[in-house]
Amino acid sequence: MERIGIVGYHQVRPELDLQMSPYECIFTAVRGALDHAGLKRKDITTVISATNDYYDGKTISNCFKVSAGGAYMKDESKVEMDGAHAAQYAMFRILSQNHKLAMVYGFSMPSCMPFECTRILELDPTFDRPISLMNSYSTCGMQMRAYMKKYGVSEEQIAEATATNWKNAAKNPLALQEAQKADMTAAEVLKSDYLASPLRELMYPLLGDGCTALILAPEKQALKITDNPVWITGVGNCQETYYFGERDLTTSLSMEKASEAAYKMAGVKPSDIDVAELFGYTACEDIILAESAGLAEKGKGDSLVAKGCLNPSGGATSGMTPCATGLNRIIEAVKQLKGEAEEHQVSGVKKAIASGQIGFCAQNNIIYVLEGGN
Amino acid sequence: MPLDLEKMEGDIFTSKGMVKAEFTFWVGLAMDKFYDGTTDQKFIGTKCSKCGKVFLPPRNRCGDCFAKAEEFVDLPGTATLKNFTITPWKITERRAKKGNKNALVGLVQVDGADSAFMTEILNTTEDKLEEGMKLKVVWAKRIKGHPQDIAGFEPVGGA
Ligand SMILES: [Zn+2]
Repeated sequence: MERIGIVGYHQVRPELDLQMSPYECIFTAVRGALDHAGLKRKDITTVISATNDYYDGKTISNCFKVSAGGAYMKDESKVEMDGAHAAQYAMFRILSQNHKLAMVYGFSMPSCMPFECTRILELDPTFDRPISLMNSYSTCGMQMRAYMKKYGVSEEQIAEATATNWKNAAKNPLALQEAQKADMTAAEVLKSDYLASPLRELMYPLLGDGCTALILAPEKQALKITDNPVWITGVGNCQETYYFGERDLTTSLSMEKASEAAYKMAGVKPSDIDVAELFGYTACEDIILAESAGLAEKGKGDSLVAKGCLNPSGGATSGMTPCATGLNRIIEAVKQLKGEAEEHQVSGVKKAIASGQIGFCAQNNIIYVLEGGN
Repeated sequence: MPLDLEKMEGDIFTSKGMVKAEFTFWVGLAMDKFYDGTTDQKFIGTKCSKCGKVFLPPRNRCGDCFAKAEEFVDLPGTATLKNFTITPWKITERRAKKGNKNALVGLVQVDGADSAFMTEILNTTEDKLEEGMKLKVVWAKRIKGHPQDIAGFEPVGGA
């Protein structure tokens, strides 16, 4: 595959209740990404967004965002998945050779909608939805129980990894302020109430309003814009079954397949990866995804968190903006590759992976291999 | 419908129920048979014509084999607890609420089925729950061909 360059990005720092309209928020991110790349709106030829009709309270959620997203009179489309999926769509537009610059953004305002209720609307309406026992909390709780039991991992180990995520968020200037918990301890995590045992309140991310924008360009174009682009050299995605009771929750089959495909495309091995920014809802899910991406032996993934090479930004724990979280992971990996991650910089990062997801317990995963240098 | 000015607090505009958009979902032939079954207080699943996997709730195809699964099979009211969680949260499409009481939620695999579904575990206590424990179905008092015909499952031989 031709390398695709990431030439600009901007993340609106998430807030629990952002004092912006949706359109001000999107404009801030998209304008910010253009300014970051030193580009003008006229340079962009296609705009791909990730938003959700239920989150936005209106159908065709992209149609009213045209002017804010820089898409006026342009090739424009939307993905109702994670922002990381929108980035793949934008890659396809570029690889079709019809587009030289693609704007990608992911947006939502969970302060304006009952996010956990909208997840019930993901369920099979003829059985699971009327029963209403399957939700973010119960599924994450069962995932954690299954994982701990299979590999003999303790609640303390998960709590330790969770505390590290909160502490990492404290070093990330774009983390939700309320997620920056520099003094968090495993003991405090274990003192919080159960959401759905063994999952506790402090093991689940805080939701933040926000928008993240990313600009992609084909190789030649990218080198005209910056002499220091980050390259997407591989991508893979995979969808598991919807039927929760048939999935092996101790691992992520979709991440196994997706990462295999991405590594193959990039010509790399898991051992080449220096840092991973993965979108798990919980530290337990981060660990499962990292193990499934081949970064650690099954049951031993918490060592990656301790070493600091899994979600140095805090991951979704640093603030989860539905539709933007996967893009945030990509941006964080880009910063690591460019040496721009400041306080949470991991040293000597040459290759990184970043992932996005949708569905309960990451039914679908999408993963990117990112590399720096010309 | 006129705008409800009461609903506008400060600069926030709440759009609530201006359009009543109720959906009708046709359950399909397999689930239709399933709800016929629950009306008679029995489970009916389907079997994949290729790999032989049995699905409950039933579906008419196997996603793995991409083959028909149209053979109906009668299944017993007994099951195994695959996984569970204890939660004070009740989340529906309308609201998410933390209650004072915990619900015992199980991932339950009916004997003879290869799939499992979430249901409430009844007539027992939190400390008694264990993966692999044997359960039996508790039918609702009022049966109406609906998912809630299954009130939940309880331990075989009582708590
Ligand atoms: Zn089959």
